[in-house]
Amino acid sequence: MTPSQKSLALALATALIPAGLVGAWGASAKARLDENRDAPQDVAVAAVSNDAYCTPQLKAVVRRVASACGLVQAEGGRGCQPTDAKKVASLSGGDFNALFRPLAKRAHIVQFDPDTAELDEGAKKLVETAWSDQRGASFFFVVARASPEGSADHNTRLSRDRAQAVLTHLQEKFKDPELERQVGLLWLGEDFAQLDEEFCAWNRSREACTPAELNRSAFMAWIDCAI
Amino acid sequence: MLLGVVAAALLGATFSAVSTADFTQFLDRQVHGLHCSFVPGAGRELGESGCRTVLMSPYSSYFRDRIWGGIPVALWALAVFSYLVARAGAPLLRGHTSRKEAGFLVAATGLPLGMSVLYFALSLQVGATCKVCVGMYVSSIAAFVAAVLAWRQTPASAPEVPGSVAAWFAQGVGFVALLTGIFLAVTPPSDLGKTGTCGALVQAEDPSGVMVELKSGSTPAIEVLDPLCPSCKALDTRLGSSGLGQALGLKGVLFPLDSSCNWMVGEALHPGACTVSEAVLCAQGLGEKRNPEAARKVLAYAFAHQEQLREEAKKDPKALRDTLEARFPEVKGCLGGAQVKNKLVKSLRWAVANALPVLTPQLFVREKRMCDEDTDLGLEYSLTKLLASGDTAAPKGGRP
Repeated sequence: MTPSQKSLALALATALIPAGLVGAWGASAKARLDENRDAPQDVAVAAVSNDAYCTPQLKAVVRRVASACGLVQAEGGRGCQPTDAKKVASLSGGDFNALFRPLAKRAHIVQFDPDTAELDEGAKKLVETAWSDQRGASFFFVVARASPEGSADHNTRLSRDRAQAVLTHLQEKFKDPELERQVGLLWLGEDFAQLDEEFCAWNRSREACTPAELNRSAFMAWIDCAI
Repeated sequence: MLLGVVAAALLGATFSAVSTADFTQFLDRQVHGLHCSFVPGAGRELGESGCRTVLMSPYSSYFRDRIWGGIPVALWALAVFSYLVARAGAPLLRGHTSRKEAGFLVAATGLPLGMSVLYFALSLQVGATCKVCVGMYVSSIAAFVAAVLAWRQTPASAPEVPGSVAAWFAQGVGFVALLTGIFLAVTPPSDLGKTGTCGALVQAEDPSGVMVELKSGSTPAIEVLDPLCPSCKALDTRLGSSGLGQALGLKGVLFPLDSSCNWMVGEALHPGACTVSEAVLCAQGLGEKRNPEAARKVLAYAFAHQEQLREEAKKDPKALRDTLEARFPEVKGCLGGAQVKNKLVKSLRWAVANALPVLTPQLFVREKRMCDEDTDLGLEYSLTKLLASGDTAAPKGGRP
């Protein structure tokens, strides 16, 4: 082989080896692309929460309250209608409260002075904290109660005013247009699902926790249920 | 000394082949590891590294606006180094060289040397250096030095050799043309027939005022981002360095991948991202009066200090809050408050309303979602096409 032939062979080798490599890499990328083009993507999609504690009973209660407050209809404004709490729950008071036990870390209880529906500063702050902890939840549930002093009718109205006080404060503080479609109110008066001392350990706006003080209250929680 | 040129050119060809292979594998539009070591072919890394930053920078390839990913500069380096092996090997096989041929070799090795100097300067601009690139720089210097020494050792009286400067130059051009042609012929086509989009927004409006104004161009665009996500920072850099970002009227939707506020992720992928997102919203202002410039400053700071902020949040979330309040006093009193938390939830729920994938970054141009791979190496090609198309029709063939 002459030096010129050797040089030519070297030139061909140094050109063709990288050319072959580039060809192989490119063809391999193309083959992989063709293979993966129609493969389904395994990526989670953003969605609201639907936690394990969302039992059918809890969902039923939330749905009934949401319906009573005009939250689930696409048309029309909100406005919770007076509804028999027992019918809403279709449960005993104890069973009704038990539905909310999984919300121990999510729920907040604001307490009121006797025979008033005014939120004190501590209660306002707790309402704001509760509202800001929405995360993936779709409904903010306010369940207001009254202690047994006074007539049942008066206490029903009082508990309704307490629930409304929470909503009014939220409206004033956050001016959030979505609020109208997310807050469900339920007022229980004095005769259904009174809170027992178990709830003293929950997040409350006051230290005092006699049975009467505990039930002069509004229980609030975001409900992580897709209904 | 000619043997030195051959050896240096072979080393350079090896490094550039590794780099070309790394680049080419990304043309399948998937995520891959990169070789990132001074030893050619060793040290494959999947995460963030100087090599990845350099690969994704606009300087790693040319014609990116016309070809998906562009033509890698490493491919041309491979062609040039291979050519130098042939060019310096010829006189070795012949047993002698001429002054002219040795002089040409000096000029030929000057090309990779010049490119190395240029790319070293660019790496300073990019703020990252890849070890494989350093290997190419060193090979270029070694080849040039060896060529100069070979030229100096060649006496002026050395006999002429067959060939001319023009023919040798044409041979070099041929090497570059051959590899470029093969690359273009075998790599996947740029246009996969889906106009660079993967779905569309169903609810682009911002009734809760959660979006942050990022750029003020004319084409409406929305970026879903996490201030502590490295890919979001990289996209921001690419949009800036490509110049394409200027065409976008870009608004940001904060979507921190941090379980402390985002219920859609099981763990804090980017610890502290919720707090930093709150700081961005606080800086912009929660009421009617907005200060987007202040929000952009917080975001720029977060992008620049991502690792530090993530580490700080991991150790002590409160310390991160203190850091942000000290750096941006205007967020004090707002950060961690009920109102900003509520605003951040609204931002996350914007993603829910649009049923977006739980990942960042996501770029929507005229409400159409750019495919994830197109926000990476294919950004310039896909975004240029999308901007030029200007159509608002439903995406064709893209994933829903």
